[in-house]
Amino acid sequence: MEMTTDLAVVSRARSGDADAFRQLVERHSKPMFRVAYRMTGNEHDADDVVQETFLRAYKQLRHFEERANFGTWLHRIAVNCSLDLLRARGRADKHYGGDPESAELAGAAAARTDAQQDRLLMSADMQKHVAAAMELLSSNERTAFVLRHFEGMPVEEIGKTLGIQVNAAKHTIFRAVRKLREALEPIVRSTPCNT
Amino acid sequence: MQHLTEEQLVSHYYHDGDAPFAPQHLAACDECRAQFDTLCGVLTLVDQLPIPERGDAYGDEVWTRLRWKLGSNRRRSVYGWMSIAAALVVAFIGGILWHARTQQTVTPQTVAAHNTPPVAPAAQPAAIASASKDRLLLVVVSDHLDSSERMLLEISNADAKHPLDVASESKRAGELVASNRIYRQTATRRGETRIASLLSDLEPVLVELSHAGSTLSPDEIAALQKRIDSKGLLFKVRVVSAQVGGHEAPATVPQKGMDSL
Repeated sequence: MEMTTDLAVVSRARSGDADAFRQLVERHSKPMFRVAYRMTGNEHDADDVVQETFLRAYKQLRHFEERANFGTWLHRIAVNCSLDLLRARGRADKHYGGDPESAELAGAAAARTDAQQDRLLMSADMQKHVAAAMELLSSNERTAFVLRHFEGMPVEEIGKTLGIQVNAAKHTIFRAVRKLREALEPIVRSTPCNT
Repeated sequence: MQHLTEEQLVSHYYHDGDAPFAPQHLAACDECRAQFDTLCGVLTLVDQLPIPERGDAYGDEVWTRLRWKLGSNRRRSVYGWMSIAAALVVAFIGGILWHARTQQTVTPQTVAAHNTPPVAPAAQPAAIASASKDRLLLVVVSDHLDSSERMLLEISNADAKHPLDVASESKRAGELVASNRIYRQTATRRGETRIASLLSDLEPVLVELSHAGSTLSPDEIAALQKRIDSKGLLFKVRVVSAQVGGHEAPATVPQKGMDSL
């Protein structure tokens, strides 16, 4: 049987059909978790973001324009929720001095010897280093990078999301890439790239 | 030869169009090519950032956590409107009292001259206050019934062959029991026998659920389902909820237990 389109389900949800909203939650929870996890880097935070995303969507459902794609609309809400959480966490980290373990991991990566690099290349800890390097980014840098790198969002859209000019958005992405490069270059081998 | 900047390399990687000359330059310049390959290596590594798996039931789990929040949001919204309505009623009654007092003090002669029968000033506000209390009762009961209906549905739809985790429902039922008692007593006092009767039927189920702890055994589920079914409780709740909420009752063939409504 053909799946009812999002638009039809949204229309029912708008008229107060809780079951319709449930369908939307069931359809879109996993993709929202993915974007939330990439942005927050924390499983529990990502779960919270998913929940907050649907709560906001529920409250703003009447503002959803039917010409738009519901998934895209929801994605934008998830990004904003994640950004709010990152900014709040940034404030808290500033207050408590950040996550020392992450900073130590990323900093140590830059000081590895060649022999250590070889071992690291074979290590399952590589992913931890990537996660730690991502932790070095500010909330804006992380958001801009995730949206550009993983979500393929145009720079103009990223600027709008962050509330900054296009050039500032570009520089935010550059800064993020530079930080990642500085943290990860010592443990990475260059990859011939045809891009 | 002028080398590509880091920004231009990143732009080229993301196809941002800021460095249209980059491909030709990279083909000719080993130094920039090496820089670009390193950049690709770093960003390829970042791609390996793992994302924890979420199972097929994830959407359902999100909904389970979410629906109570949606309910409480709605309740907050209802309470918000109730506060505004109550403030308006108070202001209205205050206005009437002030008006009545002003009329009495300023123009008693006029009243006498027209030989108008004396009016009890408190009678009209009392009637208005009574009507507004009735309305408030209906609004809060409607919301209470919505929450109860969701809980009854959960139990009615549960698979009676397996234990059911009801930790959050049990806690919620405890809160509903307390409000159910207050609404039942108020409805009885105000002569709303139909609502009072329904709340009276609902209370034992809520009490039982509130004492259930974190898990219901298959036997307990079956017993609760039987109780809900034998009184046609779910249907009664829906009908009364629709009526007090000012909506149409669902167009369903009457079920058992409806005769008492």
